[in-house]
Amino acid sequence: MEILQHFALLLVGGALVNNILLTRFIGLCPFFGVSNSLDTSLGMAGAVVFVMTLATTATWVFWNVLLAPLGVGDFLYIPAFILVIAALVQFVEMYLRKASPSLYRSLGIFLPLITTNCAVLATATESVRPGFFKMGVEYGFTFGEALVYTVGVSLGFGIALLTFAALRERLEVAPVPDVMRGTPMAFITAGLLSFGYVGLAGLFGL
Amino acid sequence: MREWIEVFKRGISIDNPLTVLMIGLCATLAVSTKLEGALFMGLAVIFVLGMSSIIVSSIRSLVPEQVRIPVFIVIIASFVTVVDLTMKAFLPDIYTFLGVWIPLIVVNCMILGRAEAFSYHQPVRLAIADGLGMGLGFSIVIVLLAAIRELFGSGEIVFLGARLIALPGWYRPPGVLLLFPGAFLVFGFIVALAKWYNTRTSGRVVQTDAHCTIEEGVR
Repeated sequence: MEILQHFALLLVGGALVNNILLTRFIGLCPFFGVSNSLDTSLGMAGAVVFVMTLATTATWVFWNVLLAPLGVGDFLYIPAFILVIAALVQFVEMYLRKASPSLYRSLGIFLPLITTNCAVLATATESVRPGFFKMGVEYGFTFGEALVYTVGVSLGFGIALLTFAALRERLEVAPVPDVMRGTPMAFITAGLLSFGYVGLAGLFGL
Repeated sequence: MREWIEVFKRGISIDNPLTVLMIGLCATLAVSTKLEGALFMGLAVIFVLGMSSIIVSSIRSLVPEQVRIPVFIVIIASFVTVVDLTMKAFLPDIYTFLGVWIPLIVVNCMILGRAEAFSYHQPVRLAIADGLGMGLGFSIVIVLLAAIRELFGSGEIVFLGARLIALPGWYRPPGVLLLFPGAFLVFGFIVALAKWYNTRTSGRVVQTDAHCTIEEGVR
């Protein structure tokens, strides 16, 4: 029971309390880039859940098998992780193109974008490297914890992206002062949306 | 020389990475709660962007097109590691404050985007102008944002332990400016201001539209 509770807290903490987009500002490029339509956002959200989970798996193994035992983690983790993630995304793209064309059509165009999405690198670093984690854990995550946390974070990404896209579609037809039209208003909207997350801050002591 | 200044100026005003190109937003919004943090973030970005522009531009004829992205990433990651370790050694307080944002400079699409869109195709001296101009444009906006948020959000600006400005005692700072909604709101107004200014000075409507230049690059 206790372990279930622990995992549930990690999931909620990653998804809502420490929402990666609206409270921590990680991964904002796609947040403003693809949120013009609800369909694209849905595809992007799906791709992020998929890639982020894979990336954490790969970097966790890479860290615990190679970097940490060799003692080179502290100064090699940045290039190592980004290369692992970039290579992984390339392989996933190639595999999807061959194995599942329909999935590739819906997720494919987002995959290369995700390589340079800081959300993936941030989550991988956070859940793999000891001492980087925000929610008060100083030791490195076990594999299960890292995975649950990553799924939580990517779900939070999806939720925030979809609500914002839905709002933005309405914003297109709203009467907005000329100078604020477009991106400035999108930022104000995102600000108002993130007010909702202020209320969640500090929930469960996360 | 005129061309050099032209390229340099473009990064600050009409092609400003933050207010016009909308790249590298994450770090800007996240670290702008304190002026000192924002200032050092700006310096770190100027350093990484300038150095990687020089290297990318000077080896551009040696790097084949197919492997350019990994090569750029390794170059950028090396300079980020330099910043990471230097800051950890000499400015531990700032390093703790910036935290995860130092390693995340690697995936800041601004730096990879400039390497891809500019330095890879231009001679070294113009690449330096572009790197410095873009870095300076980034720093100006992030420092402005941080100054507004820190001054009106906490009522005073503290720089490396010394108090620079303090508002009079009757001012009750709204703490929300220091929280995450404040970043979005203040930045929205800064973008509107920049859009108005650019449209006025250049005489054409500058389209501000969020996109990442890298999206065609990786494929």
